[in-house]
Amino acid sequence: MFGKRKFECELDEELRSFVELQAAEKVRCGMPPEDALREAWRELGGMEQVKEKVRDVRSGAFMESLSQDIRYALRTLRRNRGFASIAILTLGLGIGANTAIFSVVDSVLLKPLPYPEPDRLLTLWECSRADGRFDGVAAANFYDWREQSRSFSRMAAIDPYPDFILNGAGNATAQRLSGADVSADFFALLGTRMALGRDFLPEEDRPERNQVVILSYATWQRYFAGRADILGRSVPLNGTDYTIVGVLPRDFTFVTKSSDYHARNQFDLYRPMALPSPPPEWMRGTHPLCVLARLKPQATQQQAQADLDRIAANLERLYPRFDKGIGVAAVPLNRHVVADVRGALLALLAAIGLLLLITCANVANLLLTRAVARGREITLRAALGASRSRLARLLMTESLVLTASGGLLGLLLAYAAVPAVVRHLPADLPRTGEIAVDGRVLIFTSAVTLLAGLLFGLAPVLYASGSLRQRGRGIAGGPSRLRGALVIGQVAIALILLTGASVMAKSLWKLLQVSPGFRSGDLLTARLSLPPQYTNHYQFGTGVHREISAVQQRVLDRVRRIPGVESAAFTAYLPLSGADNDWAFYVEGRPPKPPGEFDAAHYRPVGPGYFETMGIPIERGRGFTAGDNEDGLLVIVINQAMARRFWGAANPLGERLRFGDVKWRTIVGIAGDIHHDGLDVPAAPEMYVPYAQVPNVEARPTIVLRTAVEPWSLAAPLRRAIASVDRNIPVDQITTMQQLISNSAGQPRFRTAVVLTFSLLALFVASLGLYGVMSYLVTQRMQEFGIRMALGATHAAVMRLIFGQAARIVGIGMALGLAGAALLSRAIATLLYGVAALDGLALASVTTLLALVALVAVYFPARRAAQGDPIESLRHY
Amino acid sequence: MPPTEPELLQGTLDLLILKSLALEEMHGMGIARRVAQITNGAFEVKAGSLFPALYRMEHAGWLTSFWGESETKRRSKFYRLTAAGRKRLKTESARWERISLAMASALRAT
Repeated sequence: MFGKRKFECELDEELRSFVELQAAEKVRCGMPPEDALREAWRELGGMEQVKEKVRDVRSGAFMESLSQDIRYALRTLRRNRGFASIAILTLGLGIGANTAIFSVVDSVLLKPLPYPEPDRLLTLWECSRADGRFDGVAAANFYDWREQSRSFSRMAAIDPYPDFILNGAGNATAQRLSGADVSADFFALLGTRMALGRDFLPEEDRPERNQVVILSYATWQRYFAGRADILGRSVPLNGTDYTIVGVLPRDFTFVTKSSDYHARNQFDLYRPMALPSPPPEWMRGTHPLCVLARLKPQATQQQAQADLDRIAANLERLYPRFDKGIGVAAVPLNRHVVADVRGALLALLAAIGLLLLITCANVANLLLTRAVARGREITLRAALGASRSRLARLLMTESLVLTASGGLLGLLLAYAAVPAVVRHLPADLPRTGEIAVDGRVLIFTSAVTLLAGLLFGLAPVLYASGSLRQRGRGIAGGPSRLRGALVIGQVAIALILLTGASVMAKSLWKLLQVSPGFRSGDLLTARLSLPPQYTNHYQFGTGVHREISAVQQRVLDRVRRIPGVESAAFTAYLPLSGADNDWAFYVEGRPPKPPGEFDAAHYRPVGPGYFETMGIPIERGRGFTAGDNEDGLLVIVINQAMARRFWGAANPLGERLRFGDVKWRTIVGIAGDIHHDGLDVPAAPEMYVPYAQVPNVEARPTIVLRTAVEPWSLAAPLRRAIASVDRNIPVDQITTMQQLISNSAGQPRFRTAVVLTFSLLALFVASLGLYGVMSYLVTQRMQEFGIRMALGATHAAVMRLIFGQAARIVGIGMALGLAGAALLSRAIATLLYGVAALDGLALASVTTLLALVALVAVYFPARRAAQGDPIESLRHY
Repeated sequence: MPPTEPELLQGTLDLLILKSLALEEMHGMGIARRVAQITNGAFEVKAGSLFPALYRMEHAGWLTSFWGESETKRRSKFYRLTAAGRKRLKTESARWERISLAMASALRAT
């Protein structure tokens, strides 16, 4: 408790003085001084005992007066229900919104990662020295980094691409399971203990020895009914038998940025990566891995980076063909995971902080009004001997009772709102599974509540002590100036929020206006997983994958017969689905590039009829036909961006280029550009290759259907059609193109919705504040208005007076708000698409909106002032 | 005879303290001495009762305290009645008189 030390010191001094005075008296009565002092101490009956008795009284009195204060506060609030409910509701909304958003931000951004010593975990990337772009890691590079580095206690890799088909038992259809290949100590590095069974052994991480799998908890439950005896059992995956050695704990997640692996981070099962030792050279050419490393206890990130730089320089010298210009970037895992969303979330947190400030200002205003009304009560209490600190505590208790109720309401609102917020979160936000109103959030809410209470509770206390000092004279000026300042602050904050919301809304609108480059309506898509008998066991070469073409043709034949299907086609990487691939190419007749440099473009295997089905225009030449098969001329269609980049004004039609398989392919057409990676991402160079002529296996093609009916209604017929071709082809990711486009704008949509909601709330609260302060001013100046009108002022003149005063408050608030918006504009600039952070139209419209709302808020008090009867108001005062 | 049950006499002690302070401000020792004087030595107030009472009464707003210098130049804490304290003294005195009258007549009755 405050003042406890002072209390103890004073008590000690007082008692000593008591004893000495007592002794002095005894001396006066004739006792020798030393006897007198001893006798006085004896009569005191023990210093500590006396002190203890006084302390008892003190703590008892404190508790008693505290409970008195609380009871008093509750009583007053009950008596002023209107005031109390407005205050509590405002606070509840403010605190509730803060709690809900904080629970999201906390889980995504602030909570430590769910691994031991998470701040020692790094992700390692290959990083282009030219433009700083990150790429996945080549398996052979990972091998060398692990062998040669000295700063890490462990380094592990995960290849997130393998897929497995779990062969159905009996009549059940086959299931596609998403898998990942991991180096043997991947789980040990993360500090994960198996729920059942064991981790991978080092000797299982070798070629031909890796027919073992670890299941995720969900897979164990779903496909193996959670039975404990599955350890050691074998499961048929892709036609090979694998032995189950372990099951991961229920809460295990591999936390990652969802854009890293095309939204793959929840895996059904894991298999040892089994890198050959040493790895063959071609493993330097593809870059599929994500590499994790755990720093040694004494090592710093800088040392690790220096260590890796040394190794990278070495590799560059040894393998210039693959590693020229490629460095290593070490990024802490927690920073890497949230790199894309950090800015947006912090902007949201700032927005709700502002909302809470407005709320506090409003409640402070309400309390001030009451403090003025209660001026007489307070003066009376002071006159009756209540100390200033006692009064301050009384008022403070009232404020804190208010906030506590508001905080409780806010918590309830947050409990109700969080599940809804989670449902509307953008799909690519990491770690959303952990979002909950938990202990951390409760602590945050309590702290915010207490802070809010102290913040606005101070206003009436300051006012009361000020008015006591002045002994009740001239109390009007102080609080109305303070109240004016509070309203100015509210207007300013509301304008900042509105500006942010309006530019974000405009940006979202512009984004959704962007044409994806194809006709996105009435498209249904689904992803197939072709069992191994169709994929020819990983052969590389053009024209050897006839089984795939054949099964695709059989599927298309069935699907095209579904009533309502206009056309159908296959593609490997659907636009806006997150799936993608880049390939290097060489154009015939051009000088070879130096080692490590090559031209590359996005690689798009598509089947015949793809351009027609998607509605992608062919600008020149032709699209693909059924004749572009294994036996036909090898052909290619490039997009406009590729033509521009690599041929400029020249005509690419008839030119030839080749990939790694060294077969020449002739450019026969130029397709229109599409937005493959997002509506806000400009089209990149793309090259389309007929499915039948691709050199590599594509086991997971996507089928696209253009429908004459509502696309969703064909989902079930599509499943049936595919099952009728082969029951062992799993089908998943059934969705519409519209849904994919909508998902791709999930983040801007979410943050715009949140900020818009908050800014409207802020506008409402600020207008309430303005209304309150103007009503109060009018009441105070009624007498003045009466005199003015008695002296001949018209109603209009009185109204002008009021509006003039309001205009000053709102004007200053707006000026401050615009300045604030300008300051904050840089923070949100990166979140916007196609609109400046200080957009003129947006600024003009929110300023107008705010002015209109202010006008309405001021109109009612002004009318009351003008309509008041001058005689009446003069008599009353 | 000194009182043995301080709780019994709490109201009494409060009243005696208020009464002692009615004329002038005093430190704790002065109050103890004054109580002994005005009760003709019937009440000998111990420190263990006096100081808790003083603290309680100050907190209730009947007394205020300040640091001053005693007659022996010793720094001491002085107490003074507040307006509320004076009011309290008046009402408590009246109540006490009523009670003692009633007690006296009750004891005289046969």
